[in-house]
Amino acid sequence: MKKCEEIENNLPFYLDNSLPDAEKQAVEKHLNSCARCTKALVELSNTQSVVSNLAEVEPPPWFKQKIMSMVREEAERKSFVQKWFYPLKIKIPVQIFATVFVAVLAVYIYRAGEEQIKAVMPSSAPAPVMEISKNQLPVQSREAPETFAINVKKEKIAAGKDKNDEKAVMYDVSSGVATPKAEELKKARLQENVRSGELDAAKSVKENIIPEAKADRYASAPAAKPKELSAGELRKEEKGNILETVRKSKKTKVAQSVISKTAVALHVADVDGAAEKVEKLLAKYGSKNIVRQMTEDKAVLTAELKIQNMKDLMMQLKAIGRTEEIILPAGDSDGNIVLVIEILNN
Amino acid sequence: MLWVSNIIDSKKVTDKDDDLKYVILCQKGNADAFEVLVERHQKKMLNIAFRMMGDYDEACDVAQEAFLAAYKSIKKFKAEAKFSTWLYRIVINYSKNRLKQIGGRKRREGVSLDDSGEVKTEGVLNQSADCDNPGKSLEMREREVQVQKCIASLDEDYREVLILRDIQGFSYEEIRDILKIPDGTVKSRLSRARNVLKDCLIKVIGDL
Repeated sequence: MKKCEEIENNLPFYLDNSLPDAEKQAVEKHLNSCARCTKALVELSNTQSVVSNLAEVEPPPWFKQKIMSMVREEAERKSFVQKWFYPLKIKIPVQIFATVFVAVLAVYIYRAGEEQIKAVMPSSAPAPVMEISKNQLPVQSREAPETFAINVKKEKIAAGKDKNDEKAVMYDVSSGVATPKAEELKKARLQENVRSGELDAAKSVKENIIPEAKADRYASAPAAKPKELSAGELRKEEKGNILETVRKSKKTKVAQSVISKTAVALHVADVDGAAEKVEKLLAKYGSKNIVRQMTEDKAVLTAELKIQNMKDLMMQLKAIGRTEEIILPAGDSDGNIVLVIEILNN
Repeated sequence: MLWVSNIIDSKKVTDKDDDLKYVILCQKGNADAFEVLVERHQKKMLNIAFRMMGDYDEACDVAQEAFLAAYKSIKKFKAEAKFSTWLYRIVINYSKNRLKQIGGRKRREGVSLDDSGEVKTEGVLNQSADCDNPGKSLEMREREVQVQKCIASLDEDYREVLILRDIQGFSYEEIRDILKIPDGTVKSRLSRARNVLKDCLIKVIGDL
């Protein structure tokens, strides 16, 4: 006979009528002789009837509506996502189009940016050039007086020519290089340019009438050429002394080409007296490297002067005699300029 | 061969599934079709949740969440079993998860574990009360509260089997599909659950 515990474990299945026949008969046999297990079976049956008769709860009236509102909200959200990302027949073309669009836009922006940089670069370039000119000013001023004496006569001749030539001369004067006649100069320049193959240099020579800012622009590299050209021309005319000047000018070619310069002609009765006065004035306005060159009928003073003092100096010069400005200083109020004052006899 | 017969059985099951056409509509994006499914299964869903949770409000929340979860993942339903089976599994799992959350919260808040078996069925069970006989209805209500307490005292694994078999009346096969446990486990758990419940009721109510 099986133990009561084993029978009790099988009683739920006996009630369910889910026991195999053999076990079912064993349970029935046991129940006939065991009051305890029979009682347990009755209790178990009652338990099941109690549980199965438990009242069902009803859903609240809003139950379905609430579920459906949540479901519809979810469906809308889902359909929005599906609309944009599914199905693939829409998704793939959209993605391809977007990729192409982004690529084209990127190229366009890159090119536009490049053009802007190109447009901006020239205007921003002079800044470092000016710095170079400032740094190199003392070198130029030291070299300039040595060559200036040679230039005086040539300069005078050139001054009588047309305006372009005159300015070309002045450019060369200020750079401390001897200046030939205008026509010869042009020819020489052309020959030299053809030889060197540097068109930029020729351009810079032709345009040497432009103000300082523009001259500075060419100064970084090709500006050295005009000086070489001028020196070459001098070799033909003045040889000996000029060779030395040319050598020196080669050393300082970059510095000379970038410095702001101003030439003033002062007509006075007494050249020597006026030269003294002007020299004092230059000293008074803080000029550096004052050099006086005396010739038969005129005196040439070269000095390095702050641009801001230029105006006052000009006023003082007018008191001494009749002034004639040949080249005006650049608009930049900062920095130094090389001032050449030509004192002529009335 | 057994595997093939299982597939055939599941085919037979799904062929008989009245919910399937609405499920397919839902899968195609027709949200309104889900309303029919809610209508059909809301009561059973709520009652399973209620017997699992022992709290009507919690049961409502859990059943709603289970329906929403079912809708969200309805495309994953492969019709290998009846839709209702799949749906009831969701509500059972959600109920168990919620019970864990509540248990954890109670432990954190320092609530006595002796109160955990207490159920909030007042007012809810009145729906089934007989208004003509207030004395009897009160007695019934008291008895039901005691019974629910005993159900709640069962381990979750035993409780779910008992609820599905003895309260909701599912077959062993359906319980096996809902809970995804073998037949033998269903039977042994049910046997254990019934005996424990019987002892609990004798203790609480007296002679059955």
